[in-house]
Amino acid sequence: MNNHENQPLAAPRAPADHNPRLDTPLDFPDRDFGELTPDDYDVLGFMSGLEVHQQLLTTSKLFCRCPAGQKASRVDAEVLRHMRPTLSELGEYDGTALMEFKTHKEIVYRLDRNTVCTYEIDDTPPFLIDLEAVKIAIEACRLMNVKLVSELHVMRKQYLDGSIPTGFQRTAMVAVKGELPFRTSELGADQTLRVRQVSLEEDSCREVSDIGHRITYQPDRLGIPLIETVTEPDLLTPLDVQAGGRLLAQAVRATGKVRRGAGAARQDVNVSIAGGRRVEIKGVGNHRRLPQLVHIEAYRQLNLLRIKAELERRGVTPELFEIPDAGRHRTPPWVQTPLVIDARRILRRSNYPPVREALEQKQMVCAVRLPGFRHILAHRTQPGITFAREIRGRVRVIACLESRPFMIHSDVEDYGLAASVWRQLRAALRTDSSDAIVVLWGSEVDAGTAAREVLARAAESLIGIPAETRQSYPDGTTGFERILPGPDRMYPDTDTPPLPIEDQWIAEIDSRLPETPWAREDRLQALGLDVVATRRLAASPWATLFDEIVAEDREALGVAGLQRVAAALEKRLPYFWRQAGTRSLPAPRVLTPIVQAMARGELHPDGLEPAIDFALRHTEAESTEYLAGRLKSEPVEKELESLLQLAAENLVGVHTREAQAVLRWGMGQVMPALSGRIDPCDVRSKLIFKLGLAI
Amino acid sequence: MNMTTSEDFKGYREPLISMMKAFGITVWSEVVARTTQGEFEGLVLPRSETADPLHLVLKLSSGYNIGLRHDTIEELSKFGYRKASYKIPEKEFPKDPGKPRVKLFGTGGTIASRLDYRTGAVIPAFSPGELYGSVPELAEVCNLETEKLFGVFSENMGPEQYLILAEEIGKAIRDGYDGVVVGHGTDTMHHTAAVLSFMVQDSPVPIVMVGSQRSSDRPSSDAAQNLINAAWTAAHGPIAEVMVCMFGPTSDRYNLLHRGTRVRKMHSSYRSTFRTLGDIPLAMVEQGKLTPLKEDFKPRREDREVTIQACFDERVTILYYYPNMQADIIDALVEKGYRGIIIAGTGLGHVNRTVYPALERAAAQGVQLYMTLQTLWGFVQMYVYETGREILELGVVPLANMLPEAAFMKLSWALGLHPDDPQAVRTLMTTPIAGEMTPREPHDGYLVFQGGIPEMKDFLGKTWS
Ligand SMILES: [Zn+2]
Repeated sequence: MNNHENQPLAAPRAPADHNPRLDTPLDFPDRDFGELTPDDYDVLGFMSGLEVHQQLLTTSKLFCRCPAGQKASRVDAEVLRHMRPTLSELGEYDGTALMEFKTHKEIVYRLDRNTVCTYEIDDTPPFLIDLEAVKIAIEACRLMNVKLVSELHVMRKQYLDGSIPTGFQRTAMVAVKGELPFRTSELGADQTLRVRQVSLEEDSCREVSDIGHRITYQPDRLGIPLIETVTEPDLLTPLDVQAGGRLLAQAVRATGKVRRGAGAARQDVNVSIAGGRRVEIKGVGNHRRLPQLVHIEAYRQLNLLRIKAELERRGVTPELFEIPDAGRHRTPPWVQTPLVIDARRILRRSNYPPVREALEQKQMVCAVRLPGFRHILAHRTQPGITFAREIRGRVRVIACLESRPFMIHSDVEDYGLAASVWRQLRAALRTDSSDAIVVLWGSEVDAGTAAREVLARAAESLIGIPAETRQSYPDGTTGFERILPGPDRMYPDTDTPPLPIEDQWIAEIDSRLPETPWAREDRLQALGLDVVATRRLAASPWATLFDEIVAEDREALGVAGLQRVAAALEKRLPYFWRQAGTRSLPAPRVLTPIVQAMARGELHPDGLEPAIDFALRHTEAESTEYLAGRLKSEPVEKELESLLQLAAENLVGVHTREAQAVLRWGMGQVMPALSGRIDPCDVRSKLIFKLGLAI
Repeated sequence: MNMTTSEDFKGYREPLISMMKAFGITVWSEVVARTTQGEFEGLVLPRSETADPLHLVLKLSSGYNIGLRHDTIEELSKFGYRKASYKIPEKEFPKDPGKPRVKLFGTGGTIASRLDYRTGAVIPAFSPGELYGSVPELAEVCNLETEKLFGVFSENMGPEQYLILAEEIGKAIRDGYDGVVVGHGTDTMHHTAAVLSFMVQDSPVPIVMVGSQRSSDRPSSDAAQNLINAAWTAAHGPIAEVMVCMFGPTSDRYNLLHRGTRVRKMHSSYRSTFRTLGDIPLAMVEQGKLTPLKEDFKPRREDREVTIQACFDERVTILYYYPNMQADIIDALVEKGYRGIIIAGTGLGHVNRTVYPALERAAAQGVQLYMTLQTLWGFVQMYVYETGREILELGVVPLANMLPEAAFMKLSWALGLHPDDPQAVRTLMTTPIAGEMTPREPHDGYLVFQGGIPEMKDFLGKTWS
């Protein structure tokens, strides 16, 4: 069944970037999401893990004393910066690309004095780490049953995209290795989801815009404490990725001391298949989107591996794309290598509007020969997306090309350039029939960068899956976001001292540890509630409220009564929240009398929901009065009799004689006053009799 | 490996050294630690000397460091050994006969560096090859040669270093270099800039001091921009003076060239910490373009003649006046043999009457007394109030708008130059020789903007766009 024997048993020594299996099923049929079984995903070697970032509910930010959670509402100043790759992390990855990234990108921060100080813009060293955040993180770790370290060491994790003005994120490992019960797995209720690590870190800036050479960030969010929880790649089917996402979201919220609302929790998902490597998809908002997304990514990797196999069959090697002396990044590639030519002369009479426009604006137009790539660029990698677009996405990010489009290629010869022009390009580039050509345009510097990047990406086709992070789109496809930083991007923060975790803190936290959702689920199921409702209730924000309002009357309510209370909360609370625009919970003492009345049999179960609804919208006194009104001591039968009499007298004013309509009218006359005290079925039969209806 | 050395337990103290020995592990051992909290696997790192003695530091495979408290550790088992050794990749600095020759002196601060990613230790990059490896743009600016003179932090720079630096700069100029760059920690950069302004006179080429407020191992560092602009100024700039070349605004825009005697570090951590006080900066420099802001600079010359007067008398101090200062402070200084006192007075240059007798006694003993301002901006004006006139009569000499630190450096130098000629010292002190006193203060020589007011908001929103 599942290839558990192929998974590493213990945490591997190096970050497991490569899928442990190498046997890519290249001939595996193309299928849409929903058409594959767990066994099929097993054949693919599908593995996925999650990273959830959850902001903590603290007063201040993690390393400065700015308020946490306040949104910027004004721009007091703007600061412009660049990021320069520092030396050693360049090693394994494409140093040139990082260099280009730096050279060409202006990073702008918009400052609102109420949300940031000089720390956020890297003009003041960090203050001591916020202990409130540390203690919430410890509490979260205790709940997830991961192993706490005894001393926090703040590290710097490099980010060159500008999302953090220092160029690195301050982050500290709080705990490692734990397991969550994964009962919602489609592979069985006995599954577990292993947590690899939990770290405490500062949040990054929000991106405002990214146009051409300028990326703008809003740093109000920067520095808000969050915990990053990383799982092992234990999710072996797309549906399990969704279920795992839900489980992890509950787990990281279990302290209750977390921020809610848009952007307060964000998740990344990483995916690999046999022969592939871990690709990280950033910022997936909705759990429901996960299955489709990871399914498409699995096939994208399969297609990239098919491309690799085909290129290898054709004898293509990475060396074919090398530019001599590539380190001299200021020399244009069309001077450095015969793989790239300045195509302006050949294209000077082109009618293709984007190229004509580029030439009119005195921009560079160059052509790149990709040896052995014929028809590869048109190979599909995702639904509606070809390999050419994979290249294009990356070139756009790294070379910052602005015009749309900025490239065409020879795998679609009937578009853009005339056949004669393609012939001239082929001649000038000395291509043979197995080669492809990419034509690019933009400013001279950008076009040069773009040409280099096309060659670099082509060379990486022979690696298979490049190490990158991707962004997700609503249709489930993904696009290049950035090159994955190297493993050496983490180094100690020399500005902050190590922080020993005191035993006393742990003891104090343990003494008031809230119940975890899974423990609560066990307890509620033990009460006899059904599995599905229990799971929903246990994970809901009102789980504690439920416990409190039924505490006294569990016996009297019985299973049916408890189910009714759970269902009433689940229906009325979200409805009220949507209307009122809040997410606040009522005090238990407001709802307890209602539940007690039902338990004693004084309030008819049908009256529970209206009473709760009323209590949510009114003051406590009004609610008490309302409830008292529902519990009149006067025998309900007597009141019903007088209401029926009244209805019979008013019947003359009713226009319709259609029996069902009259009955509906009659129920409307009688029921409101009796709601919660009498079974509507009784009222119905008595009305039919009283009004002499033919039903 | 039975022999262990202190390097094997670097930074660790008891009880951990005994524990490490008992389990047969050293720094750089790869271990599995069984603890009361659970199992941890990682590489044993050296411990920071300033941290407590109770924790063992492990680097996990994720790159994170963690600490394990000794009394939670039940067992340490070693399964490997990986010693970190980092070297900066050297690339030969390309020589271009068409480009000017620039000499870069190192004093100890890190100009460029590379980080040891395991320990966090910063390894300075200094040889031309190392610098080229980290700031390749330098090769487009000049032919760079480097010389490390000493390895001291900014705060430990002192007379010994000033004298050597001045002599070496003189040598470099006479050797025909087209410009000199001095890499320096930022804390006392303006002190060194001031003293060099007096020790090195009539230089035919630029002498540019440079450093960084954000170390060069950070992606957001100001080091590369500072270094490139400093090298460009030294190689191509028209101003043959001692200057400080550091960030203008906090944004990555342009550098300012500050005259060595008028510059001061004004913020503990901002990038744009260096400001010219009481005047405007000499020039802006940005990506191969230098825009002079002042016209009265000393221009670059073709000859290679320079006057070096490397002298320094260490018996000089700055006395920062405060209300109710007592006379015994000054008496004590005189008694200890101080020969010069730079007073940083209040307002226009005032001290209280209580110290008058002590000042009088000091002057009578031949101690040179000078008045500067703790307001930093403005001129000493001792004729306005009676207090001032009285202080003048005590023998305290006003130093116009000379900054206290510049005055301190100048007096130390002047006393060193004329140890037995008080009048010559006095004359030298009151004669501006490197812009340390100016005849007039331009209207925009004092600009400490106040945040929050509407026009500043407009200005700050537009500073870079
Ligand atoms: Zn702040």
